[in-house]
Amino acid sequence: MLKDITLGQYFPGDTIIHRLDARTKIILVVIYIVALFQAKGWIGYAVVTGATLLCMTLSKIKPSAMFKGVKPMLVIIVLTAALNIFYTQGTPIRPGWIITWEGIARAVQMVLRIVLLISGTFLLTYTTSPIDLTDGLELLLNPLKKIGVPVHEMTMMMSMALRFIPTLIQETDKIMSAQKARGADFETGSLAQRAKALLPILVPLFVSAFKRADELAVAMESRCYHGGEGRTRMKQIKMCTRDYIALALGFAFLALMIALKRLGL
Amino acid sequence: MEPIIVFDNVHYTYPGDELESLCGVSLSIEKGSFVAVLGHNGSGKSTLAKHMNAILVPNEGRVLINGVDTADEARILDVRSRVGMVFQNPDNQIVANVVEEDVAFAPENLGLEPAEIRRRVDASLRLVDMYEHRLHAPHLLSGGQKQRVAIAGVIAMQPEIIVLDEPTAMLDPQGRQEVVNTAYALCRAKGMTVVYITHHMDECIDADRLIVMSNGSIAADGKPAEVFTDYALMEREGLDIPETARLLRELREAGMELDGEPLSVNACADLIAKAIKSERSRK
Repeated sequence: MLKDITLGQYFPGDTIIHRLDARTKIILVVIYIVALFQAKGWIGYAVVTGATLLCMTLSKIKPSAMFKGVKPMLVIIVLTAALNIFYTQGTPIRPGWIITWEGIARAVQMVLRIVLLISGTFLLTYTTSPIDLTDGLELLLNPLKKIGVPVHEMTMMMSMALRFIPTLIQETDKIMSAQKARGADFETGSLAQRAKALLPILVPLFVSAFKRADELAVAMESRCYHGGEGRTRMKQIKMCTRDYIALALGFAFLALMIALKRLGL
Repeated sequence: MEPIIVFDNVHYTYPGDELESLCGVSLSIEKGSFVAVLGHNGSGKSTLAKHMNAILVPNEGRVLINGVDTADEARILDVRSRVGMVFQNPDNQIVANVVEEDVAFAPENLGLEPAEIRRRVDASLRLVDMYEHRLHAPHLLSGGQKQRVAIAGVIAMQPEIIVLDEPTAMLDPQGRQEVVNTAYALCRAKGMTVVYITHHMDECIDADRLIVMSNGSIAADGKPAEVFTDYALMEREGLDIPETARLLRELREAGMELDGEPLSVNACADLIAKAIKSERSRK
């Protein structure tokens, strides 16, 4: 049951999207989100949807994988759609009904917006390895070091957390099996009962996580870790032509979306 | 031979403890030797190891690594890059989620040039025979493989000394053998000084020197053959004698004439075969 956590999942590949610098992709995602919220009319939505589909095709990520990312948000999507359908004023689709044509249009647009938002950002984590992602983030946020933001420490913690997710999942599995072997029941009972049954898993998990953290700190120290100061990296990442082209396209896309919004399309 | 590690009357008590964990340990370890440290839990053998790269600093006395006092805060990186430490749990010492990134961790901390880091990472991974796995995720490797990655991560610092603190305690027999072989190879082929802490007797058989720790002090110190045949000491410390030594002892008690104290299985078998032959010819 713990195997299908999609958090930070990465699908290795060798497409143009995979090869882009992590920094480029992070900036493009920010541009994409801003552009998405510029969409007002149907033409605007059509352009964003087209751009998203183009990127997905280029990345060769399977549509089923994209759907997996959207699935957990299904409740929110349905709720948003329902609220918009029932609470928008306008011309009823039939006299006397509370459902309006405007409501249906709003609902479709809102659902489209949420789905595009999720799949667009997931495209980043699907095509970028966690280590590239944290490295890119560190380089992007580097200027903030000047005003005292502990950028290196933050990204170090992030990559460490990603490193230990599989280890902790294995550990949780082991603890659960041990508890089950002694008669613990995680599958039946009311929600409150099941939540309570999880407590005997969480306590040993936390205890061992702290012990791990302690040992890890000693191991890092003994390998000369002394913070980000004076640290170099084995892999040097460089922006190249395709990154600049991608960024230019990104900004052109944003400009187009703003223009469309001005024109009310 | 010149001593590379010197302990001079070292006392250490963990904060909050009443008993001393090390009570006046003095010893010197020669460059290029393989020193095994034995002792049961709480004998102070891990505490001894942690003093070797300034994770712990003595309350009293001093520790010199290549002449540098570990209490000298200004030279702590110097000491740590000379002494590599490998710990018991391989999961808790691997920091990155790609094997080669983890091996690069220490050289990156030392601020080396990217090309030099690359060279060292490749060389270290080849040395422990993990080069083919350089792009793997550590959590998908076996215990022995993980521990060899941890060793590679330490070798990438190019230390003169490598201290292994019970590196095989959490491994299966095959993983254990891989790690033991790697440790011996580092000493014999690369000339590194190896301090190997363990509670498996059979891993100490080929060491140059064997130190037995007990209640924070050194109970015995000598060649493995000498220490293992000090039956009174082994019994007092609650340590098992290697199978070979026990067999030789029992044969002697039964009246067989045996010369020498070979500890490896093959040498022991040869000796017994020779003794049987000479006995036959006498008859």
